[in-house]
Amino acid sequence: MNREGPVSIAHRLLDEQILDCDGKRCGRVDDIELTGSPPRVTALLVGEGLYPRRLPARLRGLARRLTGPERWGANALRIPWEEIDEIDVAIRLRGKAEELGLGEGDDPERWMVRRLPWN
Amino acid sequence: VKAILKIALGIIAALGGFLDIGDLVFNTQAGALFRYDLLWAVVLGTIGIAVYAEMSGRVAAVTRRPVFDVIRMRLGFGLGLVALVASTIVNLLTIAAELGGLAIILQLLFDAEFSLFVVLAAIGLVVVVALLPFGGIERVFGYCGLIVIVFVATAIHQQPDWNDVARGFVPSLSTSWLYLYFVVGVFAAALMPYEVHFYSSGAVEERWDESSLKENRLNAAVGYALGGLLACALVVVSGYLFHPLGVRPDDLGTVALPAQGAFGETGLLLALGGMMFCVGGAAIDSSFSASYNLAQFLGWEWGRYRGPKKAPRFTFSWLVFLFLAMLIVLTGVNPVEITEYSVVFAVVALPMTYLPVLMIAGDRSFMGEHANGLISRTLGWIYFALIVVLAIAAVPLLLATNGGGG
Repeated sequence: MNREGPVSIAHRLLDEQILDCDGKRCGRVDDIELTGSPPRVTALLVGEGLYPRRLPARLRGLARRLTGPERWGANALRIPWEEIDEIDVAIRLRGKAEELGLGEGDDPERWMVRRLPWN
Repeated sequence: VKAILKIALGIIAALGGFLDIGDLVFNTQAGALFRYDLLWAVVLGTIGIAVYAEMSGRVAAVTRRPVFDVIRMRLGFGLGLVALVASTIVNLLTIAAELGGLAIILQLLFDAEFSLFVVLAAIGLVVVVALLPFGGIERVFGYCGLIVIVFVATAIHQQPDWNDVARGFVPSLSTSWLYLYFVVGVFAAALMPYEVHFYSSGAVEERWDESSLKENRLNAAVGYALGGLLACALVVVSGYLFHPLGVRPDDLGTVALPAQGAFGETGLLLALGGMMFCVGGAAIDSSFSASYNLAQFLGWEWGRYRGPKKAPRFTFSWLVFLFLAMLIVLTGVNPVEITEYSVVFAVVALPMTYLPVLMIAGDRSFMGEHANGLISRTLGWIYFALIVVLAIAAVPLLLATNGGGG
């Protein structure tokens, strides 16, 4: 599927897996930014800071205590539509995850895994 | 020929991994309490897991999506989160049950303190997973787990009245709460969802595509049919030996006894050894299933082949699940009791994970020509209805029978 032209937001975009140009899994589409009239998708929004919005209003307060408030660039990332290369079995990005701040939780530097005995 | 051999080996590995502590506990008790009467429920559950696994494997091969990927896609974040939390609780109980079962079997084989073996079993699993390549793990546990075929040999050796056995395959219901509880238990033990979640994630890891569909069908048709045979054998040997005596097997040692009756000390050791590999393999599968589910739902990098460096969150969560399960066992709750709860709650959570797979498997925009045909669709929805009924009945039956205590 090409990123130009119409796309079924509910069917093919929201909650879909995102892969970077190396095929690294780097998050899911947690929300979508629409702009203009008729609306166009201008960005995909990713990050745990967005989880509370996806829950019923009553649970949002509790969820926000767990994830913290939305901090753009930290726990809520904006992936401009231009960064998307292709949509097939997943959403593929043109560039690397790190360039967009995605998938930082899987950065081995953050973990002690390098020091594990079998590495 | 090589391809056929590969498929045959795959089926053997799947077969060895079919029995877990849930089958061992529920089927043996079902035999002891109701002789051969519940064999039909074993068959029903076995067909159920074959249907679910075939669909999940097909979806994984065609769309490259494992089960919790599909769940997030079809249920969205909120409902999907409910499915994730429910599945994770069930998985934790299952890992605890398998770990505790493994410790009991080790204790029976090498007499020593139980809690020591719980810790050793957990450490042993981490070492096995860290050192062996994953194909190797599947083969070791799959092939060695196949030793439980000694239960089939035992059943034949006992020479039960095969007419009586055959009658057990005819579905029958009774108004006894305990009987109904065991219908749910035996069905659910055969259809443990973690096995399917593990299977479909494995299919994605092995880079299955359309050419793997034949292997997928064979696994479901042959692998699970043979697995069901093992599960039936447990009911028959226990029904033959324990039912007339009025013995209620409530520990894992008793499960292995019929093999001793038939083949002496060797039979007992084979049964315990086979059970050790089955339960150990199930501990690995269920713990990986828990991490697969979490990582897929949240979009993390995941995979046994990616290793801890490329998928640190996945690896770390696996260690945490194993550790939490170890703590549950160390509280001293009887692993057989944990098993009963894990199996009963598994069927309660099952509709939420089964439905999204059924939806995607029937969706031509994802599946194209491999979407559910008439037979898979009919069978798929019949099983969905059945699972919903059992899910609703499970907890009331658990309470009415005081946890199967009668």
